[in-house]
Amino acid sequence: MSPELAFLQALNGISFGALLFILAAGLSLIFGMMDVVNLAHGAFYMLGAYIALSVVRTTGSFWVALVAVPLALGALGLVVEPLLLRRLRGRHLDQVLITVGVALVITDLIRLKPDWGAEVRTLPPPDALAGSIAILGNDYPVYRLFVIAFGVTLALSLAALHRRSRAGALIRAGVDDAQMLSALGVDTDRLFAVTYAIGAALAGLAGVVAAPVLGLQPGMDVEALVLSLIVVVVGGLGTLGGAQVGAALVGPADTFGKVFVPQFALFFIFAIMALVLLLRPSGLLGRIRVIR
Amino acid sequence: MSRSTTTNELAKRRGYTYRLTRRQFLIASSAAALAACGPAATPSGAPATASAAATAGKPLKLGILLPFTKVYAELGNSMKRSADLYIKSKGGKFANRTVPAPIYEDEANDPQVGLQKTQKFIDQDQVDVMLGIVATPIAYAIRNVVDSAKLIFIETNAGGNALTRATTDCKPACKSKYIFRSSFTSWQISNPIGEYMASKKGVKEAFTFVSDYGFGTESQADFTAGLTKGGGKVTGTLKAPLGNNDFLPFVTQLKAQPTKDIYSFFSGTDAIGYIKAWNQLGMSAAGYKMNGAGFLTEQDVLKEVKEQAVGAITSLFWAVTLDNPENKAFTDLYQKEYNLLPDVFAVQQWDGMRAVDEALQKLGGDTSDKDRFIRALEDTSFKSPRGDFAFDKDTHNPIQDMYIREVKVVGGQAVNVISDKIARVQDPGK
Repeated sequence: MSPELAFLQALNGISFGALLFILAAGLSLIFGMMDVVNLAHGAFYMLGAYIALSVVRTTGSFWVALVAVPLALGALGLVVEPLLLRRLRGRHLDQVLITVGVALVITDLIRLKPDWGAEVRTLPPPDALAGSIAILGNDYPVYRLFVIAFGVTLALSLAALHRRSRAGALIRAGVDDAQMLSALGVDTDRLFAVTYAIGAALAGLAGVVAAPVLGLQPGMDVEALVLSLIVVVVGGLGTLGGAQVGAALVGPADTFGKVFVPQFALFFIFAIMALVLLLRPSGLLGRIRVIR
Repeated sequence: MSRSTTTNELAKRRGYTYRLTRRQFLIASSAAALAACGPAATPSGAPATASAAATAGKPLKLGILLPFTKVYAELGNSMKRSADLYIKSKGGKFANRTVPAPIYEDEANDPQVGLQKTQKFIDQDQVDVMLGIVATPIAYAIRNVVDSAKLIFIETNAGGNALTRATTDCKPACKSKYIFRSSFTSWQISNPIGEYMASKKGVKEAFTFVSDYGFGTESQADFTAGLTKGGGKVTGTLKAPLGNNDFLPFVTQLKAQPTKDIYSFFSGTDAIGYIKAWNQLGMSAAGYKMNGAGFLTEQDVLKEVKEQAVGAITSLFWAVTLDNPENKAFTDLYQKEYNLLPDVFAVQQWDGMRAVDEALQKLGGDTSDKDRFIRALEDTSFKSPRGDFAFDKDTHNPIQDMYIREVKVVGGQAVNVISDKIARVQDPGK
């Protein structure tokens, strides 16, 4: 493999990794805070992508969708958490089950809506990012470079929010000991609802950014959910850094796996996950959770 | 209780019983159930001569097994629309048999589910003819069940070669006298174009890039054989998993190798992802040529990628632009009914229905003798939207023309324009 080709493939890998981080961030946040594997994550992602499709069709602007979709999904999260998850707090398995139910309802509603439906659809990238530019004398899609930039910006701003802001401090405290936080006079119900809404908004955001690359079709929810779970499991459950490390590892590994051993392309990322689970069951940056 | 008695008395005065007692209900409902069971309860092994008179004029029960959920749902919907339209266009009658709405079942793209639903058609519904099935693994899974139940089955999509060939030990499947196919084999859409490219277009070298599953691998092997026969050679091959999420790494690899003619088998989402990556990496500008099996640029793909597919050369037995009176009538009818263009899957289903209809005309509607029914189907030939349609009597696979099509922009729309034809392509199966 020539150095030039290796560089291009590395770029492909990094851009896929950035996409994976955007996909997994919401799942990781909700799990870290609420100890709930939000299996509706894939459905939120799918709903975000389809809302983006409708927004782009009516307004003609990708950028409007990039703002409107997270708001819409955030609002949905604000309804789902108090209505369904709150009354099951402490019963983790039941909470996980109800997120499956939410996912089934959302995906079936999407299938029934005539202009969304069961057909394969694509969301075109915004005109400014639709073309290609020359890198080392080769055409490279601008949108993929945008995905890298977007993923890095999202990672940095989430990290800043997490470490520096009051909301971040509350979330970190909630992850460590929600009961104590409640005793200190913090409204944990509101905190949980807001966290869930942010997680749902991030899933919707992922839907908008990933749709021009991965397309819209029945089954995209499961695909996104599986990819996010792999990233989160590899990186470490429930920490933002875990999602970053997981995505940075899985993206390039998947790309180079496809290049060097294409016959195992589908299986490669699962092999990485299995290996990590064997050697470090809590993930690369995972924290060992004390069962109280 | 007292209130209901008074209502009953009121009702009686007006001349009807308002409320059934439990006993009355039980008697009435079990009588109804018995009546409903009646025809099904007669022994199915009754002598053919006795039931011969009975089948003519009886409604024709069709069981159609299609995917209505999961990734192929839209194909299933398209084929259902086509089947319903065919029956409607015939006024709900084939020969002297009325054709009520077919019984539709969802195979959910799962061989196990497909098998259960087929069993239901056989045992519970006792259908006269079964049609449908999109994915080859499901067609292979139900082959033996259909064969041993002597149920006439018309495959309206799956193109795995083995379903209409004699194979050693019937692995992974083999032809059956009860199975017909109104679609194609992977050999038919991949082998002739290989030979054509080498002998007519002077392509001496090609690189193959296919979807890594049974049908993709089969197409790749058939194309390679065709190209070799025409005097060309395949310089290398690459496979991407079915439902691949990111095509950039693969197309980057394609661009890093020197053979300019690429032959691909992809459909649906994969085809869209592939064509987009092809454009993003500037493959055409770098001199690479996209060739493939027709599904690479069918309507479901074209309406999403549009002019990004311009220049792609594919082979298929039909195109929406095909110029013949049957195709014009069919596309007009379909468009009038559903306000959308038919696709190749609709054509396959249409011809499957047509074959059953034509056979029934020959039999005077009498389907009681299975062997006569099979012979009638074998002798069926007609002008289809795709051109001349006839079954190969040995294999029950259609003998049909293959069209070489190139994606061009016509009137602002990207469409497949037919540039050449390979006449009467017959699968080499025996």
